[in-house]
Amino acid sequence: MTSAPFPDRPRVDAREKVLGQAQYAADVAVPGLLYAMLVPATIAKGSVRSVPVDAAMRVAGVVRVLTASDFPPPPAGGAGGPPPPPTITDQIAYRGQPVALVVAETLEAAIEGAEAIRPTYAAMAFVATIEGDGVEPQPVEPSTGGDADAAMARAVTRHEAEYVSPAQHHNPIEMLSTTAVWEGGVLTVYEGTQGSNMAKGALMRTLRLSADQVVVKSPQIGGGFGQKGGAQRQTAIVARAAMLLGRPVKLVVPRGQIFHNATFRPKNRHRIEIGADAEGRMIAVRYDADQQQSRQGQFPPAYHESPPMMYGIADYHGTAANLRIDTQAPGYMRAPTPHPSSFAFDSAVDEMAVKLGIDPLAFRLKHRATRDPIDDKPFSTHFLHECLTEGARRFGWDKRPLAAGATVRPDGTQVGWGVGCGAYPANVHPTIATLRIGADGTTRFAAAGHEMGQGIRSTIEQVLVRELAIDPAGLEIAIGDTSVAPQHVTAGSWGTASAVIAAERAAASAKAAMADLLAGRTPPAGNLHRQLATVRRPSIQVEVTTTGPGQGAKEVERLRQGGMAVSGPVYPQFTSFSYIAHFVEVHVEPRTRRIRVPRVVSVADCGRVISPRTAASQVRGGVVWAISACLREATEVDPRYGGWLNNDLADYVVAVNADIGEIDVAFVDQPDNMFNALGAKGLGEVAMTGCAAAVANAVYHATGKRLREMPFRIENLL
Amino acid sequence: MNEEEGGAPAGVTRRTAIGGTVAVGSALLLLDAERVEATVQSSPPPRAGATLAIRPIVNGRAAPVTIDPRTSLLDLLRERLGLTGAKKGCDHGQCGACTVHVDGRRVASCLTLAAKTDGREVTTIEGLAEGDALHPMQQAFIDHDALQCGYCTPGQIMAAVACVREGNATDRPTIREYMSGNICRCGAYAGIVAAIEDVAKKGRRV
Repeated sequence: MTSAPFPDRPRVDAREKVLGQAQYAADVAVPGLLYAMLVPATIAKGSVRSVPVDAAMRVAGVVRVLTASDFPPPPAGGAGGPPPPPTITDQIAYRGQPVALVVAETLEAAIEGAEAIRPTYAAMAFVATIEGDGVEPQPVEPSTGGDADAAMARAVTRHEAEYVSPAQHHNPIEMLSTTAVWEGGVLTVYEGTQGSNMAKGALMRTLRLSADQVVVKSPQIGGGFGQKGGAQRQTAIVARAAMLLGRPVKLVVPRGQIFHNATFRPKNRHRIEIGADAEGRMIAVRYDADQQQSRQGQFPPAYHESPPMMYGIADYHGTAANLRIDTQAPGYMRAPTPHPSSFAFDSAVDEMAVKLGIDPLAFRLKHRATRDPIDDKPFSTHFLHECLTEGARRFGWDKRPLAAGATVRPDGTQVGWGVGCGAYPANVHPTIATLRIGADGTTRFAAAGHEMGQGIRSTIEQVLVRELAIDPAGLEIAIGDTSVAPQHVTAGSWGTASAVIAAERAAASAKAAMADLLAGRTPPAGNLHRQLATVRRPSIQVEVTTTGPGQGAKEVERLRQGGMAVSGPVYPQFTSFSYIAHFVEVHVEPRTRRIRVPRVVSVADCGRVISPRTAASQVRGGVVWAISACLREATEVDPRYGGWLNNDLADYVVAVNADIGEIDVAFVDQPDNMFNALGAKGLGEVAMTGCAAAVANAVYHATGKRLREMPFRIENLL
Repeated sequence: MNEEEGGAPAGVTRRTAIGGTVAVGSALLLLDAERVEATVQSSPPPRAGATLAIRPIVNGRAAPVTIDPRTSLLDLLRERLGLTGAKKGCDHGQCGACTVHVDGRRVASCLTLAAKTDGREVTTIEGLAEGDALHPMQQAFIDHDALQCGYCTPGQIMAAVACVREGNATDRPTIREYMSGNICRCGAYAGIVAAIEDVAKKGRRV
């Protein structure tokens, strides 16, 4: 096994993407296609009394309107994980929930038909915000290491504050869509999903189909960020229409409806108390977090995943709670809990450094973590100090004045430098992969995984091309398709670590198969394809099954069944996290008080970097996400009617090109060989963590004003 | 935005478009039927609401088609002509994923009625490369990894080519400003700016 650094290679699918040839779900050409449009509920809670369809059916081209009575009753709960999302029901749990699906010969007719439907409702009282009456608080298990109360009593310096992160929506540019084809008793669904297995399982359970009757294909995903990780609300609805009509049906969900039916990052709040001893070392943390939650939602308030893993504070007590109200279910959005918790925690750490009068970089470097205090295990690798040291060098941190508000340009612009750190669990799932190498110059690798721009195909290509003498031009990487290999949800930064160890194992197995074939003879000249041709074998094929540390037959079986089979970050022998440090320069304009971010330096410890080029892009993307999250994004609840007010891309403001400056990215690039043979941890999520805190800390350094609620807007600095 | 592109081309007024009157006949359109067949999928049988015959020139080939007058240029390209490079990201002109060129100017095709393109030159991402040779902007996007998921990329590239042609690729701040109508949610902005700067600096005709 080798874990040498990998070379810089272009993104494997860049050419098809710049040509506009990459196929996303809604691009797939299907003959005889019908078009669908959903009708959203206009009440926040209650029930549907009637859905008059006559006006819609009179629209030329409308073929059928599906309402609740067209769907089988919801499947019984129990084995197989959380219940699949409902289809169309008469019970309304949130504003925007679908109450009908109009199917027509053309998109224009489907839209006109949907707009012609005016359901009647029996509305009920509802709770729209976590600040309102009628909220159901529900605490979860606390996260505890050592004795935080006793340690806090010993502390000589304490900092206590509350930090808030708003509700936000993922908004990948590819909208949710489903194209369903029912043919010969088999349902084929094309959908941008990070979990083709989850979509398949939901379709099987909802529509009472067997495993061999459902195929889900997610060829390329136009951005996921967690929104496309679970089963989507529209999938079974569209599939049912295709089955009833005997014709393929496509639905592209309008963005306003996506805001209401997709998951979202719930609003969350963090009350943090940190205590430091006489040497200025942090020794105790008490941290209470809570989050907006739907009545039935399952997204866990795991805000204590990362903070205890940062600075070696042994005495830690964290609580968390759901605040249940009437909304659609929240869910996983990039760096789901570590982004807001790292904003809160690394802001609090910075405030402690200010209180102690210590440079915030030097303060962080006084704290080196070696053990996970919650689970009492050593870290496999933990290179946060290396990230900090290299980042500071690249940024020129040694020129930073300690005092806030010390740097003002002649035009009045205030300049501030801030640092912020984050961590994200290193997770892994089993993989069953097949590798076929042909004498005709082709190679096909089929495994679990979904490509959403993170570059999973590029990482697989790197390993196969390094390990095997194959022609990269003839390499097909078949992933995101339930018909090619057992699929697993691709999220939580576990995709690459899970895929590349399977690629390496498959490559080793193929080499062994080739050696068997040659039976001691000297290999003929040329690459593996030429060698196979020379020995007159059309192809060799191998299958491998790989697992993460501590995993075995149970996890492999869960993978085969299409369920969740993830382990980590706590393994039998160790705990494993990825780390990052961000250094940020902000400019605060004198009159408008607008915050600009002209310069960021980010250094990550993701273990061995498998695909340097796509990895650097991943980190830049994480930085853009953090800047957008802390300076722009918030979804506003309508307290009068429920639902989301700013439900389009003009009113839900995300970072555009002019909001982003220079982003310098580097990696520690030290393999974590306890975690796996190639030493790769995860990257896409950790990239975002800690960066919002770095911006907040830089804003403080520029202005002397501490902003504890995202997003930071000009009115906060007036 | 792009309202000036909305001026009716010769032969089609708002009234004729909405009324469904067939308005064809520009001397510009000398149709090479075989080549059209080869490059643009032939239209399916008449469909509900398809009352308006138009003949845009798509990627250099005339593409006669009878449409529902409400059809957007984006839906025409994607759902009727099989050109799925331009993407739907919002359908409101807010994201830029559907950017194409009409008579050489960048437009949001989701906000452009297909009826307005009768007789006009429409260029999509599929029409940018010449055979196997990538357009310099396409190559620069690969070289600078100016993309991740690739969904906004066709729109970014069409906007980037226009940005250079307009003379707005003069320096990084200007490029950023003139590329801010195209959202990249993956956050490939740094690469996009570097790619455009690269092409502009080489001074090649794009």
